[in-house]
Amino acid sequence: MKNNPYLFWGLAIIVFFSGVALLAPWISPHDPTLIDGQNLLMPPSLKYWLGTDGLGRDLLSRMIFGARISLSVGIIAVGISIFLGLLLGSCAGFYGKTVDSLVMRFADIMLCIPTFFLILAVIAMVEPSIYNIMIVIGLTSWMGPARLIRGEILSLKEREFIQAERALGATDARIIIRHLIPNAAGPVLVNATLGIAGAILLESSLSFLGLGVQPPIPSWGNILIESKSTLGIAWWITLFPGLAILVTILGFNFISEGLKKIIG
Amino acid sequence: MEKLLEVKNLKVDFQLDDRVIHAVDGVDLRLDKNETVVLAGESGSGKTITALALTRILPRNARIVSGEVLLEGKNILDLEERQLSLIRGARIAYIFQEPTSYLNPVYTIGEQITEVIILHQDKLRKVAQVQAKKLLEAVQIGEVNRVFSSYPHQLSGGMNQRVFIAMSLACKPGLLICDEPTTSLDVTIEAQILKLLIRLKKEMGFSLLFITHNLAIANKIASRIYVMYQGKIVEEGLTAKIFNDPQHFHTKELITAYQKIGKL
Amino acid sequence: MINYILKRLLGMIPVLLGVTVLSFAIINLAPGKFSTLDQAMNPKVSPEYQMRLVKAFNLDKPLPVRYWLWLKSSICFDFGRSFSDNRLIMDKIAERLPVTVGINVLSLLFVFLVAIPIGVKAATKAGGGFDTVTTYFSFLLLAAPTFWLALLLMQFFCIQLGWLPISGIHSLDFEYFSPLRKVWDISWHLILPVFVSSLGGFAVISRYMRSSMMEALNQPYIYTARAKGLPQSQVVYKHALRNASLPIVTMIGLSIPGLLGGSVIFESIFALPGLGQLFFQAVMARDMPLIMAEVVLGAVLTMLGNLIADISYAYVDPRIRYK
Repeated sequence: MKNNPYLFWGLAIIVFFSGVALLAPWISPHDPTLIDGQNLLMPPSLKYWLGTDGLGRDLLSRMIFGARISLSVGIIAVGISIFLGLLLGSCAGFYGKTVDSLVMRFADIMLCIPTFFLILAVIAMVEPSIYNIMIVIGLTSWMGPARLIRGEILSLKEREFIQAERALGATDARIIIRHLIPNAAGPVLVNATLGIAGAILLESSLSFLGLGVQPPIPSWGNILIESKSTLGIAWWITLFPGLAILVTILGFNFISEGLKKIIG
Repeated sequence: MEKLLEVKNLKVDFQLDDRVIHAVDGVDLRLDKNETVVLAGESGSGKTITALALTRILPRNARIVSGEVLLEGKNILDLEERQLSLIRGARIAYIFQEPTSYLNPVYTIGEQITEVIILHQDKLRKVAQVQAKKLLEAVQIGEVNRVFSSYPHQLSGGMNQRVFIAMSLACKPGLLICDEPTTSLDVTIEAQILKLLIRLKKEMGFSLLFITHNLAIANKIASRIYVMYQGKIVEEGLTAKIFNDPQHFHTKELITAYQKIGKL
Repeated sequence: MINYILKRLLGMIPVLLGVTVLSFAIINLAPGKFSTLDQAMNPKVSPEYQMRLVKAFNLDKPLPVRYWLWLKSSICFDFGRSFSDNRLIMDKIAERLPVTVGINVLSLLFVFLVAIPIGVKAATKAGGGFDTVTTYFSFLLLAAPTFWLALLLMQFFCIQLGWLPISGIHSLDFEYFSPLRKVWDISWHLILPVFVSSLGGFAVISRYMRSSMMEALNQPYIYTARAKGLPQSQVVYKHALRNASLPIVTMIGLSIPGLLGGSVIFESIFALPGLGQLFFQAVMARDMPLIMAEVVLGAVLTMLGNLIADISYAYVDPRIRYK
């Protein structure tokens, strides 16, 4: 930890934000949906530390609850993509031939379509909601992990201990679970932390466009919608949620950088 | 005999992540005009680093700690980068172990030879090209025009080493440093390249510092041998003396290895 | 070389077919597919809208027939008519393509012009002050959401300083301008969008350039170049850069999906009439024929980008050219 400041700071940031997200109902100074008609667009003050929005809601409380949304969307979306990636990538790598070329061609096709386009096209068909966003981001980002895992497996497959296992009659599933996946865990973890950062960015962009998490549920992205109409009037609405996104992403990127150092 | 090169107490350190390695630890060498001297030793003994240090073309994490490299009595380690680069390639030239990777893959053979002629002899490109083709003829390359416009990956290792010799001798250096120039080549090609070097040396009259772990070659070409072990010169002397009466255990090891190869 | 390009073009066909299958599947297989769409579950879908969908995509016919009909017309660039204004989709796309392609090409050029020297300098002085500063800076740029940076820059340059126009691609009285003033007016409006869309690229490409350059500078042929007596500038810019730029070239192709996705965001922030804004409007209006057309177009642009990248790669790397 001492020799790896990236990992240290990354973990520090993410632990902090996760703590905030988990403890949201207890630590947020106000009700995030409480409308204070007396204090519309108030700059940061003692009562409202980060100011209020156009409806007089406390920005800090909204951001604290927004942390829950942003982090959970990021983590669950990446969970889905890693699961799919593991499944498809290990099948492709392990069985090779037809399975491999089918999966890889499918990944190529997916990679050809701009992810954001694909997500928006699906969003147009389904109602935008937190759950749909998680699923759609997960379904459109499994290609990286899949390629990675396939590559790892191809290189591991030829190694002696795997062949020895085979000779001893181990089943395919057993070999995949017992040996191949643990060996690929490092790079996948790096990929996952980067993926979470990417998913949080995606969610915030979608929500900012009004196609993600829907108000009144606060997310860092949809709080920023209001900043378009308050440019030059209420700088705090633009500054703070964006900073929250930036620092969180920075945290995940630092972790992946630190992990890369460990893996070597 | 007239002295050409004298190295005094040369020390080179390598800075690794957590420690310092004394790769070259107080080396003294001497080389007369027209002389062929072999610097022998196992890999990792510091031979290559010594050679690179002579014109300060060391890797980034290496540092010359102390010592003098006197070329015709003048210490060239004191020179500014600009003055030293007038010596590199013009008065001291190198030939390395794997010609194909030591040639730049994205430039033609012709360009790589022409470049050095233009640099040191200040000639027009056309003139330099004609000269480059003559050099290719001199190293017994048949299809000069084809080779001239080829890229390194299109030629064999032996062919590339001929090209490299042509390139290094382009500016008629007084000292040619060969770092295991035949190690990566087939035995038959090795013999051809050695023959070529010996012939060219006779014709052009340069001094040869030949680095190898193979004492068979040393026996064939050297007037004197230096044996290097763990960054230090552990034994030196006339070739016959080294072979007949080796003192240091490493010299004995090298000789035994050579005799074993001879018996195979 | 021509053979190589032809081979690549042929190789694109199955992928393109796959793209059409996939985008067609989204329409037909997405949860809440319209053939069984329940209005109660999805109030946005009116019976009238369903009718139009049925007609536009031949939903009354069996699936393979539907796909075949759509593919047949799509190959001739006939994507049907837009739901929102009944205009031909190809026309709508054609008038917006130049804006998006123009901005993205400009920002790519900008990115490469700035990021490559930065990466090279950081690599040649790795561990130094410049390297450290650019490293931290690129971490920040990578972490900052583009739309947020756009908002901050708008706030600063357009509102507080009033130096740059806040939105649109030209001024209101554009039509009355002289040709020269028109060019000036458009460039004026494009400064901020191009800059914003380049920011992420700066970080990615300069980092990438740095590591690629570090690797190139450690290659054996660099020792040769130095042993020849070449000055440091030639060692770096002639011998290392050309090799280090090989992986960067492929980045052009790889960055196109991201750029197109980004266009959706910043074109809607800066109110630029490009493909991204069109796509966003199509999504908001559930203009399915237009959405499908743009998805396919996005894939085609991506593939073209990859092709250009591969060709340039082959151009710089003789090992590929003479295979």
